[in-house]
Amino acid sequence: MNRRMFGGSLLAGTGALAVRRLCSTGRLRDRRKSRSRVAILHAESYDEPLDRLLLDGLGLFDLDLRDKTVLLKPNLVEYIAGADVNTDPRLVGAAANTLLAMGAKSVVVGEGPGHQRDTFLVLAESGLEKELQLRRIRFIDLNRDEIRQVRLKSAFTGLEKLWLPRTVLTSDVVVSMPKVKTHHWAGVTLSMKNLFGVVPGVAYGWPKNLLHCKGIERSILDINAAVPAHFVIADGIIGMEGNGPLNGSPRNLGRIVLADDPVAADFVCTRLMGLNPLRVNYLAQAAEFLGNGTPDRIVQLAEPMLVPQEPFAVLPEFAHLSI
Amino acid sequence: MKTSFAAVERQRLARCRLLTELRYRRVPRPGGWSHYGDQPGTEPTSLALLALRSSRSSPVPFEALAPLLACRRPNGLWSAVRDGDTEANFWASAIAINTLMILGADSEMFAEALDSLLHCEPLEASWLVRLKFRIADRHVRLDPTKFGWPWIPDTMSWVEPTSMVLIALERAKNLGLIQGGQLWCRLNKGTDMLLDRACPEGGWNAGNGVVYGVPLQPHLDATALALAALRFHYHLPTVNSSLTWMLDRIDCPSAHSLAWLILSAAAYKDWRSDVLPALGVARDRLAALVEEPQRIQDTSTIALAALALDPETANNPLEVRSCAHQ
Repeated sequence: MNRRMFGGSLLAGTGALAVRRLCSTGRLRDRRKSRSRVAILHAESYDEPLDRLLLDGLGLFDLDLRDKTVLLKPNLVEYIAGADVNTDPRLVGAAANTLLAMGAKSVVVGEGPGHQRDTFLVLAESGLEKELQLRRIRFIDLNRDEIRQVRLKSAFTGLEKLWLPRTVLTSDVVVSMPKVKTHHWAGVTLSMKNLFGVVPGVAYGWPKNLLHCKGIERSILDINAAVPAHFVIADGIIGMEGNGPLNGSPRNLGRIVLADDPVAADFVCTRLMGLNPLRVNYLAQAAEFLGNGTPDRIVQLAEPMLVPQEPFAVLPEFAHLSI
Repeated sequence: MKTSFAAVERQRLARCRLLTELRYRRVPRPGGWSHYGDQPGTEPTSLALLALRSSRSSPVPFEALAPLLACRRPNGLWSAVRDGDTEANFWASAIAINTLMILGADSEMFAEALDSLLHCEPLEASWLVRLKFRIADRHVRLDPTKFGWPWIPDTMSWVEPTSMVLIALERAKNLGLIQGGQLWCRLNKGTDMLLDRACPEGGWNAGNGVVYGVPLQPHLDATALALAALRFHYHLPTVNSSLTWMLDRIDCPSAHSLAWLILSAAAYKDWRSDVLPALGVARDRLAALVEEPQRIQDTSTIALAALALDPETANNPLEVRSCAHQ
């Protein structure tokens, strides 16, 4: 164990201990369910019949979507020609169709990119606009939606309140649809980090710099405690390794991860990347109160968990994440 | 290259449709315009007021400005949306002040906010933060001694709010509303910040030109705003190459970015011969993109497109003429 690895593990460990203490004193509500369910689906490419695959995969969960309004929140960062940066439009379209087929009253797709102010430019260039038009699915720019102030349920950032889009607050079901990627500030960006996109640019600017100033990992925890995603559909068919979330290299993982718990989803995705989730500071802390991280509290469905022989490449700062 | 009569007519009709949609989208109570939905916001209200201004010469009556003034906070600055609890927003304040100046409003309405902009300092103004960037946080290429304006208090400076504040301050200076050493100091620092944050290939994004040694790509709307703010520095190579980068992207598929591009490029039409022909092509493309304004979600985009298709440039929020032209 080198010095950096020791430091990273120590940070995650002490953070998790602090969260445990807050839970035991009642200052932080323990919201973990007794068991979380995660399904790993095999999909070699985006040309596979994704609607069918998702319908079968979602059938493994006891999802009651009848008469529910659903918000799909993909990871739509910006368009870089030839780079797999965003949740693939075909997967987003397939998810929307499948959820409608399962009885959802309505499905909308919403995102608020962090740096790119022209959301509809990213939508057009990424191909998502065309996909949604074909499937007649509505898109909401979460950066410019009406906003409401909500009181935070945790205090990692010290912010007492946060402005959030009306669509996020009024949807019955929020589905986080991350792209499985490494992240140069947070280690990994998965379903929990993906919720940065629900924080409205109209209130906080582009980028949502207040979250960076308050600490990315602390912000991830506060946002997810305030607006937890009810379900996760993670795009791990082609992920990104190295200098993510924008300038890394594509990595064929061939997996879609479904979960009824974002923390469990992110633990499983991190392991699929060949990285140790307990060394990702915010994941270790989230597993103490927001969701489940330990294998004994995660029911594994569909495909077995296979840790890759070659872990996802990470920047030197995150070398300690490798299993 | 002369724009054909058919193209001009197409643009005129498109603008008429945009203005009709804008009038339709006015929030009846309490007035103003929202980006989306019923919550009036400073940016859409400002841009809509400019786009709908009918008379070029006479000041706009006070009651017409009321929806914009309603977004003002007790400290004189504007918030992004009209809601009692929203924080001050420097982008929103700059765009509101800029609009009020163009519309000929009494300077008392925005004097306090103008003063706040002049004295606003982002996080980088603190020596402790500058030290952090020098020692610990060296992955983003930036010189923290060169700072502009943040979106909201207690955050770092970024390209878009810095550009809009520079435009507002430049306009206020030309109208004789502000002067003095502090003004020059902030104008120079803001300009230096924009030049420092430019992308290596020209153009700007939110403000990170190089991260982890990798050049990041510029964004069209941020580039348009920065170029408009640097209009009096047109001779600088960074400005020139960024203008070239921007004019090469008039095939942009988004009305929002294309409208910003047109409004910014219009400020350069007297300085480079390739701007006018590019503007003709860009306006024609924009007219096609906004054929069905009711399908455009963001009301700001509708107002921006109407302004960009306006053959008169008096209401261009991005164009500040030199003192002699005011």
